[in-house]
Amino acid sequence: MNGFLQVELDRFQGPLDLLLHLIRQQDIDIFDIPIATITDQFLAAVAQIQAGDLDGAGEFLEMAATLVRIKAQMLLPRYDEDEEEDPRAELVRRLLEYEQIREISSRLIRAEAERARRFPKGYFDFRPRGFVEDTPLESTWDEVLEAAREVDLTHPRNRPHRVATGLVALEEKVRLILDALEGSERVEFSKLLAPWKDKMHGVVTFLAGLELSRQRALTLRQTRPFSELWLLRGDLEEWARTREEMMRVGGARQPDPQFDTWEGPADAGAQRPPSGASPQLDAWETGHRTSAQPPDPQLDAWPTDQEGER
Amino acid sequence: MKVSQIVEGVLFASDAPLKAEEIARADEALDEDLVEEAVRELRAFYDDSGRAYQVVELGEGYQILTRSELAPYLERFDTVPRLPRLSGPALETLAIIAYRQPIGRIEIEYIRGVGAAGVIRTLQDRGLVEVGGRSEGLGRPLLYQTTRRFLEHFGFASLEDLPRPEELPILLRERGSLEEILGEGNGVPTS
Repeated sequence: MNGFLQVELDRFQGPLDLLLHLIRQQDIDIFDIPIATITDQFLAAVAQIQAGDLDGAGEFLEMAATLVRIKAQMLLPRYDEDEEEDPRAELVRRLLEYEQIREISSRLIRAEAERARRFPKGYFDFRPRGFVEDTPLESTWDEVLEAAREVDLTHPRNRPHRVATGLVALEEKVRLILDALEGSERVEFSKLLAPWKDKMHGVVTFLAGLELSRQRALTLRQTRPFSELWLLRGDLEEWARTREEMMRVGGARQPDPQFDTWEGPADAGAQRPPSGASPQLDAWETGHRTSAQPPDPQLDAWPTDQEGER
Repeated sequence: MKVSQIVEGVLFASDAPLKAEEIARADEALDEDLVEEAVRELRAFYDDSGRAYQVVELGEGYQILTRSELAPYLERFDTVPRLPRLSGPALETLAIIAYRQPIGRIEIEYIRGVGAAGVIRTLQDRGLVEVGGRSEGLGRPLLYQTTRRFLEHFGFASLEDLPRPEELPILLRERGSLEEILGEGNGVPTS
């Protein structure tokens, strides 16, 4: 009897799903379910549940118990046929209701597909989506022009290929900033860069400034995008005290990990942050690419796993 | 500015369906009736002039959407990741909530015969379902209902747009005896 009913339980979303399958597959009249047969088939299917897989089993076992109870009730003599409800009635009601829900689900799928054929304005985004996506642009064209004027345009477009540059020590730049702040309350970032042409000096000086600001030795101020960056002196005495204490507690290690040398370009390729993480930094390294092609920041900004997102 | 121009401008600039009362916020002189009249005007105008888009009634409001006949062309430009499809259990649970709202978790589980907590959370995370209150019953369980986003996602103007149970091709009425059983209400114990 059960031979042709090979049932894979994983395929079913629950006991009602399985029960409906058994009934519909055998063309059983749902209003007159041969409860003994169905119960046997159901139990046979449930018997396949692996002993370890008790997570999903509970619901099937509960239904099995219900079926057995109904089967027992059917065997008991009923004295007043009109008064008593058929023991199967509640089960039939549930099955029909579940079947109805499934029908509604398939209609929802159709409605969803139909809706998906209409598009609102801006549905697709033709520009590459990158790091600037969520940054509102507040600058005016005048500010851009002003910033452009500050840029040293004398650089030749195709710079000679450089294999390595001298290291720029973060420590050195920290000293530079502190010395500058010794004499005055505040100092302009651009002044700190004055003697050097190399961009790496700019990067390391900026990092030193950020680090000192983090340690509260100074505060950074910029009134609007692209304008001059000011370094305002903080409580340097307090800062020096804290630092000394940290050195004492920290013990042996001489160079503070915070102030380790920034190695910069020498192994920039190896240290490159995950693609797309920091396109700005990539752009800084232009002089040190081994490739002769100038890098395209646009391309760098494009996340490489674009396809994976679809 | 003509009323229909204001309404058109607001609809054009919005990225989600807007209710008439929301559109009316654009100008003191507007009210719901004026907006609805303008929407009718726009619809007729778009249809008569063969525009590629229509004002669609959606999620209790209106939104300008392209005609579905354009889908084959527009889908080629689809660079936005689509939401992953809803799973079978999620759809069934959503269907139950849509038809029986507000409804508690226990009743949902009784109808589907399996646990529903995880699926309900998924639906909540996707903004299709929300908590609409608490039942008066024992333990005051949470009751769930569908959201405006649900209507938008499936393209319904309101819950009235859902297929009516009596339209469904399920053989409920063939036998008198079952008429009684099914006539007793929706079959879900409320306690």
